[in-house]
Amino acid sequence: MNSAFMKAATSLNNEHVAKWKESGRRVVGYTCSYVPDEIFHAAGILPYRIRGFGAADTTIGDTYFGPFICSLPKCMLQLAGEGKFDFLDGAIITPGCDSMRRLDECWRKAGGDIPGSLPKFFFHFGVPHKYADYTIKWFAEETRRLVDAVEKHFGVKVEDDTLRSSIRVYNKSRKLLDEFDALRTADDPPFTGTEALAVILAGTTMPREEYNGLLEKFIAESKKAKGISGKVRLMLVGSANDDVELVRVMEGSSALVVADNLCFGSRFYTDLVEEEGDPVLNLAKRYLSHNDCPRMYGDYKRRLGILREKVKKAKIDGIVLQNIRFCDLHGSENGLFERDLEKEGIPCMRLEREYGPLVETGRMKMRVDAFIERILQGRREIA
Amino acid sequence: MRQELKEYRFDWMLYSCFSSAARLKSGSEKEYRHSMNYIPYFRGTVESVLGAGEPGQKFIELTAKYLDNMINAKERGLKTAVTTFCFSPAIFYAMDIMPICLEVVSVMMTFAYKRGTAEFLDYCNEVGYTETSCSSQRGSIGAYLAGLGADIDMIVTDTPGVCDTNANAFAFAAAYLDKPFFQLDMPPDLTGERSDEYHREDYKALIAFLEEHSGKKLDLERLRANLIELHKQDEIIAEIEELARVVPNPLHVAGNLIVYASRFLFAGMPECTEVLESILRQGKENAAKGVSGLSSGTEKIRAFFCYIDHYVQNLKLWEMLDEHGVGYQGNILSRSWASSAPHVQEYGMQEAAYTLNTADLDGLIDGMAMVNSRMPMIKSIRGPYDAPNMWLQDTLSLAKMYSADCIIYNGTPGCRNTWGMVKLLARDTEKAGFPTFVMNADAFDERVQSWETTRDRFLEFLTVRRLI
Amino acid sequence: MTRVAGCDVGSLTSKAVIMEDGRVLESVIIKSKARPWESADEVMKQALGKAGLSMADIKFCVGTGYGRDKITFVNEAVSEIACHGRGARWLLPTVRTVIDIGGQDCKAVKLDDSGNMLKFITNDKCASGTGRFLEVMAKVLGVELGDLGALSVKAKSPITLASACTVWAQADVIQHLNDKVPVEDIAAGVNAAMASRMATLANNIGVERDVCMTGGVAKNDGVVSALEKLLGVRIKRIRRADPQLAGALGAALIAGDRANGGKA
Repeated sequence: MNSAFMKAATSLNNEHVAKWKESGRRVVGYTCSYVPDEIFHAAGILPYRIRGFGAADTTIGDTYFGPFICSLPKCMLQLAGEGKFDFLDGAIITPGCDSMRRLDECWRKAGGDIPGSLPKFFFHFGVPHKYADYTIKWFAEETRRLVDAVEKHFGVKVEDDTLRSSIRVYNKSRKLLDEFDALRTADDPPFTGTEALAVILAGTTMPREEYNGLLEKFIAESKKAKGISGKVRLMLVGSANDDVELVRVMEGSSALVVADNLCFGSRFYTDLVEEEGDPVLNLAKRYLSHNDCPRMYGDYKRRLGILREKVKKAKIDGIVLQNIRFCDLHGSENGLFERDLEKEGIPCMRLEREYGPLVETGRMKMRVDAFIERILQGRREIA
Repeated sequence: MRQELKEYRFDWMLYSCFSSAARLKSGSEKEYRHSMNYIPYFRGTVESVLGAGEPGQKFIELTAKYLDNMINAKERGLKTAVTTFCFSPAIFYAMDIMPICLEVVSVMMTFAYKRGTAEFLDYCNEVGYTETSCSSQRGSIGAYLAGLGADIDMIVTDTPGVCDTNANAFAFAAAYLDKPFFQLDMPPDLTGERSDEYHREDYKALIAFLEEHSGKKLDLERLRANLIELHKQDEIIAEIEELARVVPNPLHVAGNLIVYASRFLFAGMPECTEVLESILRQGKENAAKGVSGLSSGTEKIRAFFCYIDHYVQNLKLWEMLDEHGVGYQGNILSRSWASSAPHVQEYGMQEAAYTLNTADLDGLIDGMAMVNSRMPMIKSIRGPYDAPNMWLQDTLSLAKMYSADCIIYNGTPGCRNTWGMVKLLARDTEKAGFPTFVMNADAFDERVQSWETTRDRFLEFLTVRRLI
Repeated sequence: MTRVAGCDVGSLTSKAVIMEDGRVLESVIIKSKARPWESADEVMKQALGKAGLSMADIKFCVGTGYGRDKITFVNEAVSEIACHGRGARWLLPTVRTVIDIGGQDCKAVKLDDSGNMLKFITNDKCASGTGRFLEVMAKVLGVELGDLGALSVKAKSPITLASACTVWAQADVIQHLNDKVPVEDIAAGVNAAMASRMATLANNIGVERDVCMTGGVAKNDGVVSALEKLLGVRIKRIRRADPQLAGALGAALIAGDRANGGKA
């Protein structure tokens, strides 16, 4: 049941993408959860979340990016340079953060050196750093600009009604993922955090209707499945992670990652898009209001509140606050979260890591094990 | 942090240093020489700056005045706003708010103290702030986070969309200290109706925020006066920059530093104007005589610094340049985008320049918003580096205009937005015929790469590329 | 008579401790072999040999350190953080903050009244701030690792070293040597750089008295006194046993808990 999700989550040019391309249709990649996929869906294009998963080294990435840069965009560029993203007909770059923003020029220059590695449609999609009436207006205009560019380049027309129906399809996913979330955070969850991440990741790689079908089946089966009990319940917070193995290492034999606030995780699917009215404005509103990313400066308190609520709702025993080295946005905010949540008696552990091939699992495992031991000790005291 | 650092407020200590330095030349030469013995670690900085003659003296007086304002703000009934160097302080002065420019304060401490801001940098790490963040804000922020400065009233930045690590420093401090926070957000384009409108609406929101947290209403006349003074300053800077085109460059080697530091601290205020006029005077005198501003009188080559300088103790960077006959052709920090600016004139970049309309409130706000969105970094580090009006275009056009023989990049390891593409920039500038040197140093933290190694590598570059 | 054992397999050294009814029977420190299970087997063999015992005499054995999951003869694997904390508490009953600088990583652990972990922090990506840093520097200086501490005490004017990166710090040391800076001054700078990184790490979790150091670097007086100055507290020296044994000791103590019916 889960193998479909696991397969889709762990291979880039998976069978869904291959089938899609064979039928003569196009695929456009995007790097950030602020890009409204619904647009591509409405244009008959498969939106595909670009990841760095599977990069074995960063020799190409390092050629264009300088040192002191987070390894996420480097791995993405590495894959592009190796031709692993040749199936993309387009790519959308956003200023998610400075390192990711520079993927724009680095990829373009690499494209000049390595023929075929730069998708033909390459678009820089601006995203404001706060939510206000004029930023929404700007962002709606930017979204409209993207729609126009897609229409022009791909020779398609994206009517408002089509966009609205795409929104409905995606909202269906969101509602299903809410159900999935409820199962994930049940007292005895029917699946592990590793499996949960695979489920979420798979959604970024395949046609939405197909995904919704698989999700429905998965939810139905999970409801009947036996729950996993007696594990320490962790929440994973911080920098992007698209590697299920990372979660597996953390879960080990005694824990479950039952919640997260990652952008390849719950940030990706919470909150519905308004279905009535101007679809472009509605998309802009929902996507920009996702202030769960520390790139939305000045909103720390709200994000803290979201974590607090999740801890309560999901009955979290401890939070793993991880960041990729050089990710200052998550890294520093994790420092604030630790201070404030520990004060409220919620065990937290900060962990800095590299993005890329999992090579330091021993060290990571030791820390997480120690953290779990600390949590269990705490429980014993109370008992 | 060593106990000694916690004994006194850091801002008071800094004020004490610079205000004493400002009085050094008011006695006899003998008294001056004698005083130097009492400041073994600070004398290098003092001698370097005062060695620039009248502009140096006026500059030290300006820094002393600034620090005096800073530590006495509360007593004088002013609110304080911690802000960044690329945020034009004219608006704060117009609203009786004392702007605390973190990076310039970091520069002062890095110049003056033996260990620079090392312990404050480390303190940030202790309270959860990442050590990989830029050291320019981190040095001063650490002091504030440790409670070693006067209480802050608000925190304001304009680097979202331009520089994450900068914006993040202010956001972190605001969350950590629980202070009101405001960001001016920058869209990826500099010009165009959408960007103009965005800048304008955002700036109005800024004013509303400042009014709320200062309890003062924006005084139109004050703002108008400040903007007019600011424009006047930009015109003086334009003249100074025009002088820099002369071969040999008649300006003092640290002239550019004095220009931009004064600007960041006192834009729109007469203190800055006075310093600029002094530099211009000195430059004109040298130009009339056809001499170089370097102390040897001989300019061997001209270097354009495409980003920022290196602030190691005692202004050793400028000393090295001076010693080796390297004319300093400027960096991005002094650039204004007034229509009178030489680069605007030379390349017909009127569209990129700001226009000042001081007629009414809307005009003033528009003008101020435009001025602000053309501050260093804010102007040229948005969107991709090779887009119109962005960093590559600026670097090449300025290097060409100032007849630079080479281009030097220096920053900090925390600078994500430049390290993300500096290799690409260097590739382009080399292709355009400018030998380019990417320094691996940290402008504010010598522990990353010692000054000796930094200097050796710099000179090695000049030698290997047969520039000297 | 309950005999238990603790085995701590580190990257540079491996340690084994055999305890009987809360007393240390034997302890051994060896240089680690290429594979962790080989190190574990060897050090345990030596310890048992010294005690005149066999594995069958050991009621419970806890393994810790890198490779703890690969040791076949342990009954339970516990993190080195928990073990170091526990071991340090036994070595110094009043300790609240444990600073451990080992070969490849360093950590700070805060303990509660019962000796359980309250908070901990470990260094992440960098060699500087670990024993490795000192090893490299000692080599460049041409001195024995063990002499770095004694040397630095003699320093008249310690240098400020580039502490951010081991590689660049190395280049710096070479530069200083070329400039004929006395070795003592450089050694003092090296120790200070190390201490500075450790202090920042420790301050992250908040240092509370009493503070002690475990791990090999605890024997370097230069680092210890530099650290004391930076933290503003005395670091209590451990006299009860070799501080390098803290991990194995803690493991043995936890083994004792288990042997006496304590739950995992």
